[in-house]
Amino acid sequence: MSGFLLIARNDIKRQFVQPFAWVVLALTCALLAWQFLVALDAYLRIVPKLANVPNSQGATDLIAIPLLRSLSGLLMLIVPLATMRSLAGERRNHSLPLLLAAGIGNLRIVLGKFLGAYALVALVVVIALAMPLALHFGTDMDLGRLAAAALGLLLYASALTAIGIACSAWTSHPALAAAAALVIGSFLAMLDMGARFQGIDNALINWLSLSTHLEPFLFGLVASVDIVYFLLLTTLALLFAGRRLDGLRAHG
Amino acid sequence: MRCGLALRLHCRNNPDEMNIPAPVLSLSHVSRRLSGNTIVEDLSLDVPRGVVLGLLGVNGAGKSTTLRMMVGMLTPSTGTVFVEGRDLASHPQLARRGIGYLPEEPPLHGELTVEEYLRFCARLHGIGRDKVHQAVEQAIARCELGEMRHRLTSLLSKGFRQRVGLAQAIIHEPSLIVLDEPASGLDPIQALRLRELMRSMAKDCAVVLSTHVLSDVLACCDRVAILHRGRLRKTAPLSEIAALESEFVRIASESPSMESAA
Repeated sequence: MSGFLLIARNDIKRQFVQPFAWVVLALTCALLAWQFLVALDAYLRIVPKLANVPNSQGATDLIAIPLLRSLSGLLMLIVPLATMRSLAGERRNHSLPLLLAAGIGNLRIVLGKFLGAYALVALVVVIALAMPLALHFGTDMDLGRLAAAALGLLLYASALTAIGIACSAWTSHPALAAAAALVIGSFLAMLDMGARFQGIDNALINWLSLSTHLEPFLFGLVASVDIVYFLLLTTLALLFAGRRLDGLRAHG
Repeated sequence: MRCGLALRLHCRNNPDEMNIPAPVLSLSHVSRRLSGNTIVEDLSLDVPRGVVLGLLGVNGAGKSTTLRMMVGMLTPSTGTVFVEGRDLASHPQLARRGIGYLPEEPPLHGELTVEEYLRFCARLHGIGRDKVHQAVEQAIARCELGEMRHRLTSLLSKGFRQRVGLAQAIIHEPSLIVLDEPASGLDPIQALRLRELMRSMAKDCAVVLSTHVLSDVLACCDRVAILHRGRLRKTAPLSEIAALESEFVRIASESPSMESAA
């Protein structure tokens, strides 16, 4: 098995023998399930009225997409918590030398750490998706749109996870890493919003914003520019983390 | 070519030992500077197979920095580190496969049991899936960890933590084992056991042991290298240093002006 997959598998195992991962999953499920049931209840109450409205919105628009949009906000909190100990925790526990002294390159270590953290985050996304998908047994869900939203959320989560890993590589304090990841993630998510609030309609600011690239997926639009944006952000953040490990070797 | 270079370096330092094979570890004019301060200066050292080298020095002498450069965790500012003839800078991943390293603080994963942790370490060091079980059993047996194998590493005593750290360092049967203050915090019985283990390990590989405890060096080292203020002040077989303690104290108490005169 490749070194990074080994690190990833070990990190997944370490996460799930601790209560933290289970608590995150349980709280996220509880919160999303509550929102899902409230939306479902409201939808069932208005369904008879919607039947008479031409081109009315369905369960996908009224239940699934708002739920997944809420998940994107929740990920902003969950991801820093999932990534904060990836490298910062190793440094704090003095266990980073095990990885640095093994015959594994820095980028592979970072990739392993990324995949280990991403597994938990992706599991949250999958669980959230299972809720609206369960409705498919009783009604027609727009599966294409759900697939696009799932892809968008997974890409969005990968970018946030990579940012979290980069922050975790930068410090030996997990709490500081989590705070930095939260600040950077929030900044990127609200960059566009802030600019619009100030009356600035700048194409670059719009392009830099996370939400600009997530929203099309939620509307069922899969554009290569959005995919490239998330992949680019993920790659840059992971390279940054790799550089930090290079720096630790070079400067101690 | 690299083997040849390592051999040459070894022979240069030991002209009377021409029949000894290439050293497992060879440091050639290694220096390390950090923020304008020289931590290690122009260090050249060879360690052949079957030798336990004691790296002796007071706190701040540059022992840990030297060890970190030996295992590739820290890049030397100048100079080259060869492990089994491979340049650690140009072949880092291949060279590191032949190194077992126990830092001052054992690098344990507290969430895993001893067995799970050692299984991970074995795979990390490149042992194939089919040989992991055997390697783990061997390491557990050598470090006498049988009773603790199912216990979480975070719940172990200092002595057992150190043994697990040692087990991870030897699990892949490296040709070079680097130990940073391995006996620190151990009780006398544990320290004795650790010394015996180090002696037995040295039969098949080279061992570098950093310490400031003279009794550790006297009990298990073949050669000693005394570091002071980042410079190698003396290196000789233990048998040639008649009064190691007085030699060490003399070097350790030298002032910078005396050093430059020397």
